[in-house]
Amino acid sequence: MPPPEHVHWLFASGFLALGLFLLAEAVVGREVWRKRRWRAYLWPSTMFLMGLGMWPVMAFFTSSTLHMLAHGAWAEVMMLAGAAELGLASGKLRSPLWRLAIVLAFVVTGAALLVHEQNDWFFQRSAFLHHLLGWTFLVAAVFPLGRALRPRSAVFASGFALAFVAVAVMLYSDRDVAPVFGHLSPMAGEPHR
Amino acid sequence: MRRALLLGLLVALAWPAGALAHARLKAEHPQFRERFEAAPARVVLRFDQAVDALANSIVVYDTRGKIVSRPARNGADPRTVLAPLQRVPRGAYTVRWHALSSDSHVVSGVYTFGVRMNAPPPTEAYGASGPTRSEDVVRWLYFAALALLVGGLGFRLLVLPRSIPEALERRFYIVTGIGAVGIIHVGIAAFIMRSEDALQLPFGRLLYGDLSPVATGTRFGQAFIAMTLGFTWVLALLFLAWLTGRRALLWPTLLLALVFASGLSLSGHSAVDSSWFTQLADWAHLSAAVLWVGGLVQLAVCVWPAAPGLRREAFLRFARLAPVLIAVLVAAGVYLSILRLPRLSDLWTAGYGQVLLVKLGLVSAALAWGAFHHLFVRPRLERTGWARRSLVGEGAVAMTILLLAAILVNAKPPDQAARRTSLVSNVSSSPSNPP
Repeated sequence: MPPPEHVHWLFASGFLALGLFLLAEAVVGREVWRKRRWRAYLWPSTMFLMGLGMWPVMAFFTSSTLHMLAHGAWAEVMMLAGAAELGLASGKLRSPLWRLAIVLAFVVTGAALLVHEQNDWFFQRSAFLHHLLGWTFLVAAVFPLGRALRPRSAVFASGFALAFVAVAVMLYSDRDVAPVFGHLSPMAGEPHR
Repeated sequence: MRRALLLGLLVALAWPAGALAHARLKAEHPQFRERFEAAPARVVLRFDQAVDALANSIVVYDTRGKIVSRPARNGADPRTVLAPLQRVPRGAYTVRWHALSSDSHVVSGVYTFGVRMNAPPPTEAYGASGPTRSEDVVRWLYFAALALLVGGLGFRLLVLPRSIPEALERRFYIVTGIGAVGIIHVGIAAFIMRSEDALQLPFGRLLYGDLSPVATGTRFGQAFIAMTLGFTWVLALLFLAWLTGRRALLWPTLLLALVFASGLSLSGHSAVDSSWFTQLADWAHLSAAVLWVGGLVQLAVCVWPAAPGLRREAFLRFARLAPVLIAVLVAAGVYLSILRLPRLSDLWTAGYGQVLLVKLGLVSAALAWGAFHHLFVRPRLERTGWARRSLVGEGAVAMTILLLAAILVNAKPPDQAARRTSLVSNVSSSPSNPP
């Protein structure tokens, strides 16, 4: 099993790719971005595959029921959101309500991050990041919601993209038990790097 | 080139990866299911964080429930907890551990080891009561979801024509999609319930329970991992088939689903001590059953309301496929029944036999119902207004058969129960219970 931060970095790469695809779309505009048809499928398929890749984490990471359920919830909502956006991009789904799937994904992801972290904010770096990530997802859910209601708004589109970039940066910052702001609980074990 | 790079990136993102807990058991002595020739002197657990030893942090039971460990305490390293053991004779032992982690949560786990004998899986640890009625229901839901998925796919590929009305296509994907998602969800629920039984913890504390011994140390857990991952790929393929409108993708979806359905045959009670041929028969029995039941559901729920023009063709083609499925079902079922109930009297004297007897009665009823459809409904299909209701009735009987099959899979056949001395059977005769 790789250390947790390696897994977080792997998924950080996915979130960074998502953020950059969406940022490019927000900058050049949806019409220009979708002049090549495959680009419309780019971020939803990335999201879907990230959901698929989360299932092995759920299945192999069974050292607590709580973590297993949290990883399962993330896997599911990422697949759902990716699938809904793919369906909309292909024209298979027509109701704009499907755009709320990504809002649901943000809310579930944020809630699961907060619920499954058992320690306080300053217990260790990974605890700090779990809290920060959880609240980021919950607060940033306003961007996909705004994007669903106002699809042409550059503010919501950019905010949505930057939320993924921010999440990627946070995940890249993850290290197992390194101190936060110089403080490390003596109960958290010895820093090992 | 750009597309290749993009594809590489997407594959890398989908690559399986693991993760570790924030606080967990790092090492243990004795190890999970370790066999000793000489009894160990103590049990030592090492965590990745400092923990506080509780009075019952480590309790070791023999097969009769007698405690053979002394009170636990922290080791010199605050991350370790240890408990000395009495001199223990040959036998299987269960270690139940609890530790207060620094965030005030009690983390817990269970595992087994053996002295001059092999240790049983954690699901047969002292205190585990074995499958309950709730687990029977969960397994039945699993079978039902499997029928919706596998039976639906088989029906679409073997019975329906290549091109079908859009409304029917939509219903087909909804029903099979519900089946695929249901398999994953019910599988997770079944795994947690089995772990809960092994750990003997209330739900609140189960959230912090270590499930890894059940996941990696039992056939059930290994099958859970393989089947969960397998069916997520099945779900992805099904979605891809819907998205692209490519019927051909349903073939690998069906094959993959049938392959991973074998996890049930390889992990159930019937798999223990049985040959590969028996497991193959079990898989054939299950596959034929879910193809048959799922086909009935597709006929009643999808074809009848969504494609009236296809009713006759679908009914006739399914009527040609069903006898083949039923032949496989009955042949494999008879073989497995003879194997598990060597004496005819077991049918009415043993609990397993009685459930099997009821199941056989329902199978006979379903077969008679099918024959009625074949002989009386088929010639008058256009003039019969109640054909759908009759199909629903046959489907309901088939679903009830799946419930009885779930009870039988979770039960132990009488010959096996007599042959093996399990820890579970010892528990029922023991006066004491674990905390």
